Amino acid sequence: MTDNSANVGRRRFLVGSTSAVGAVGVVGAAVPFVGSWNPSAKARAAGAPVRIDISRLNDGEMLGPIPAWRGRPIFVVKRSEALLTALNEDPGRLSDPDSQEPEQPDYAQNEFRARRPDVMVLVGLCPHLFCSPTPHIELKPQPFDEEWRGGFFCPCHGSRFDLAGRVYSGSPSSRNMEVPPYSFEDDNVLVIGIDEETAA
Amino acid sequence: MSETKKPGLLVGALIGLRDWTDARLPIMTAWKKHMSEYYAPSNFNFWYFFGVLSMVVLVIQLLSGIWLTMNYTASAEAAFASVEYIMRDVDYGWILRYIHSTGASAFFAVVYMHMFRGMMYGSYQKPRELIWVFGMAIYLVLMMEGFLGYVLPWGQMSYWGANVIVSLAGAIPVIGDDLLVWVRGDYLISGATLNRFFALHVVALPIVLIALVVLHILALHEVGSNNPDGVDIKKHKGPDGVPLDGVPFHPYYTLYHDLGGIILFLFVFCAILFFAPEMGGYFLEIANFQEADSLKTPEHVPPVWYYTPFYSMLRAVTYPLFGIDAKFWGMLVMFGAIAILFVLPWLDKSPVKSMRYKGTFSRIALLSFVVAFLILGVLGTQSVSPAKTLLAQMMTLVYFGYFFAMPWYTRAEATSTPPERVTGRFISIPQLIGSLLLIAALVVIPLMLTNTAHASEASNVALDHVETSFEDKASLQRGWGTYMNYCAGCHELGYARYARTAEDLELDPQLVEANMIFDDASIGDLMTNAMSDDDSKVWFGAAPPDLTLIGRVRKPDWLYTYMRSFYNDPSRPLGANNTLYANVGMPNVLHGLQGDVICDDHGTNDPTQCELSHVEGTGSQTPAEFDQTVADLVNFLYYIGEPVRAKRQSIGVWVLLFLGLLYILVFFMSREFSKDYH
Repeated sequence: MTDNSANVGRRRFLVGSTSAVGAVGVVGAAVPFVGSWNPSAKARAAGAPVRIDISRLNDGEMLGPIPAWRGRPIFVVKRSEALLTALNEDPGRLSDPDSQEPEQPDYAQNEFRARRPDVMVLVGLCPHLFCSPTPHIELKPQPFDEEWRGGFFCPCHGSRFDLAGRVYSGSPSSRNMEVPPYSFEDDNVLVIGIDEETAA
Repeated sequence: MSETKKPGLLVGALIGLRDWTDARLPIMTAWKKHMSEYYAPSNFNFWYFFGVLSMVVLVIQLLSGIWLTMNYTASAEAAFASVEYIMRDVDYGWILRYIHSTGASAFFAVVYMHMFRGMMYGSYQKPRELIWVFGMAIYLVLMMEGFLGYVLPWGQMSYWGANVIVSLAGAIPVIGDDLLVWVRGDYLISGATLNRFFALHVVALPIVLIALVVLHILALHEVGSNNPDGVDIKKHKGPDGVPLDGVPFHPYYTLYHDLGGIILFLFVFCAILFFAPEMGGYFLEIANFQEADSLKTPEHVPPVWYYTPFYSMLRAVTYPLFGIDAKFWGMLVMFGAIAILFVLPWLDKSPVKSMRYKGTFSRIALLSFVVAFLILGVLGTQSVSPAKTLLAQMMTLVYFGYFFAMPWYTRAEATSTPPERVTGRFISIPQLIGSLLLIAALVVIPLMLTNTAHASEASNVALDHVETSFEDKASLQRGWGTYMNYCAGCHELGYARYARTAEDLELDPQLVEANMIFDDASIGDLMTNAMSDDDSKVWFGAAPPDLTLIGRVRKPDWLYTYMRSFYNDPSRPLGANNTLYANVGMPNVLHGLQGDVICDDHGTNDPTQCELSHVEGTGSQTPAEFDQTVADLVNFLYYIGEPVRAKRQSIGVWVLLFLGLLYILVFFMSREFSKDYH
């Protein structure tokens, strides 16, 4: 192919443009194959936002792990004044007391990790290896912690979390429990999975 | 920057990797043997595209098939719904499914062309007998693969097609009945059958198929390709040992010849995929949009088009012989028709390969064979009549005559001497048109002669035409409203979801949730209803069918006519009858809107003979308003039958434009580089 040197430019152009257009074709043909791995309409419907009625949830009680959202347990804890006061008494024991790591939506990046201080919403999974922690809400010493201030204890590997889902230093988990996107439709209806406030 | 000829870091690394591998695995040797130093004759013509195209379709089928299994459920309860799930709920699932269904037909189309090429140019003759035998084995496995795959969607045609074909096992004397039960794994075609067919279709046969394709190509590359002149290019080699009439398969054929052909093929393939995936019921049979029902056979059970020649031969045998059923002999003839293809290399005694140099007898024989095969194919799609059976019997004799008489006529005829070297000769345009017209005439005339008896069948009730439009959202919305108010109580739309329908019809999901959903379903759910099948059987005598796919099964005109053909008939249990669907079990649910309609059957007592008249002043809508209501409802049903229809066509336009552009570029590139070889 060394002859036809006059045509080198023309040939380079033809090979280049054909290859470029062909590459677009290959990418285009790959779209259905790649795209079909996304969640289907059925999966999306099953993972749709979940409404939770919290009108009958009393102080110091937890609703969970059902209703689940996208197959993950959701913890909803009603925190009393006493629990809220205890929450930020000794931030030194926590790994990330100010929620610096992005484990929560922006509106929950505050001292209570919540839209409303009294209602705590968490994905009920330990970020370590995804066991579901056990709630121990009362302010009383526990076998695993003499100075327990209410929170969650993971039975799998012993990670400890406070009532805002923040991990205690010295736990296998190095991150806080995740806060899902949520909003309040009205005072008593919580919607998991939607960020915007839909209340009128 | 003074660039030297030294390869860059990346290219250097790749060359290093290549050499490292080649020292351990003969990749360069294999590349040379099969691609860059495989010398193919330089006179390949149109017919030589189809081997490469079979490979292309094989890859298409493997990829789309693997992706379909990701969402398909192989069980009698869930298979049909899972196909609709793929069509509706899986992102791009409809493309994958249509690729696979169109690919199945495309596979047979290119393989038939490929086989014809071999027969025409004598590609099966010594020393290429094994290539032909492997090829025929591929064809046989392909037929099994196609049949098994057709069962998987678990529609009515899947079920009854499987029933008919599997029953052939029962025709074998003595062991037939036990064999039949064993193949099905049940006393009828059931979920057990479906599961084993699934395993064979997606695992076992593809492995066999790929192995056979490898053998087919290895055998070909051992002896070299035949060509339209049927001459051996290895007889005349240049000083470098390269055949004078040979060109390297790569890049000459791969890039400068086949690539353009592949793109043209993909153009046709995509045109069908995006604009006519059902191909008029020949690629996707209409009855297969209804779920399998072991108690109800469709009126007409034709196999898919690519089996119809053999199906015709099966039906053509109507005489019992030696005390054994005609069914058994029919099966023997059908399998014999395939088996005899295997021994073709040993039947042809001609001293020359190509039809170009064979004599008149061979030409007439091949022409008759092609005509017989096509006629049998067309007959196989139609229902039988005595004239058609006679024609099928005659064509079956022609089919076998081509083979049985071959040893005689190939020896008896005068052949001309092939040239020493290949010619660049092509068929002339008048010759081409002449042969096509001759074949068409020979196929069409006998079919027309046998078809006269059936002309009266077409005189069915004339259907009223209705326009459907996906763009008319207002009409679709009204149609959905009518559906939910009048139909949804009994008929489910069990494969469609509220949310998707709301989106397509440009309705606010919250409004839909408030106004369209009457039970406690949520917007993402399927539009099922609470009525149990058992209750409805008691109430109506039959469970009201799911209507998600009714727009594909019954076309819009039928639905439009049907809904407007109800009339008052006090003799019927539900007070209504229908002229299009006599003695239907469904009440006239729109009676409140339509009002009273009276039938004058001229004393025939036949609902189909009714002359309908509307009783003025009855019904809440005028006849014109009522027609509009029904038109909207039909528009909605047609939409919900295939929600992706409009999107499919708009994507298709872009795909075809793209392939057109690519073809133009490839055309100019091929023309430029081909100069090196001429």
